[in-house]
Amino acid sequence: MDNFFLWLGMGLFFLVLLCLYRGVFGPGVLNRVAAISAIGTKTLVILLIMGYIYQRVDMFVDISMVYALLNFIGTITVSKYLEMSGEI
Amino acid sequence: MTRLTDDIIIRAVARIMIPFIQLYALYVIMHGHHSPGGGFQGGVILGASFILYLITHGLEEARVRMSELKAGIFSASGVLIYSGIGLLCLILGSNFLDYGRLSIILKVIPAQARSLGILGVEIGVGITVMAVMFSIFFDISTGGIILEDEEIKEENG
Repeated sequence: MDNFFLWLGMGLFFLVLLCLYRGVFGPGVLNRVAAISAIGTKTLVILLIMGYIYQRVDMFVDISMVYALLNFIGTITVSKYLEMSGEI
Repeated sequence: MTRLTDDIIIRAVARIMIPFIQLYALYVIMHGHHSPGGGFQGGVILGASFILYLITHGLEEARVRMSELKAGIFSASGVLIYSGIGLLCLILGSNFLDYGRLSIILKVIPAQARSLGILGVEIGVGITVMAVMFSIFFDISTGGIILEDEEIKEENG
């Protein structure tokens, strides 16, 4: 079962690389914002899988909740900034 | 970012989420010595909740909840709690921030006094970090221009 979660994490890591391409080269700023948000969500799941592999899920759940919260606030802040500065 | 906007979904979601964010921040501060986290991390989450309030509800409403004066008082009082506990240990005849000596006034065994002492220090650090995070964001969003209350009333008509 550990091996399964290890491969699952590596697959998610590959998906993060794909999102990173969209975040760096993506046309327009909206693609970049969506890519960063998706990377944050995938990082959260990778953190939980790491916690399962190291048998310390109770520790890693705290970190991943903070990660989700800051990802949410960051996305809202960037969206507000783009709305205010009139780039969209 | 500084004006009152009329996006109802964001405001409703923020109003529901902010109490849980603050409760989680208090959990992170209180469990700093059992799980990851501590004073700084809990303070950052607590400050993030106020920043979320400022973003979603506008600058004027956020000034009512947490003004510059309140942020300054909070940041100074957190440092006062931290250094006060440290100096209390120094007065009781031990090193600076050596919480074991607090067992004299807390009437508990030294190990429990260490746990309570580090909890007090983390509460002080959390209050300071929350206030400083908020005041940094406040200064950035106002552009460094601090308007008095009368000027804001004049601007709003």
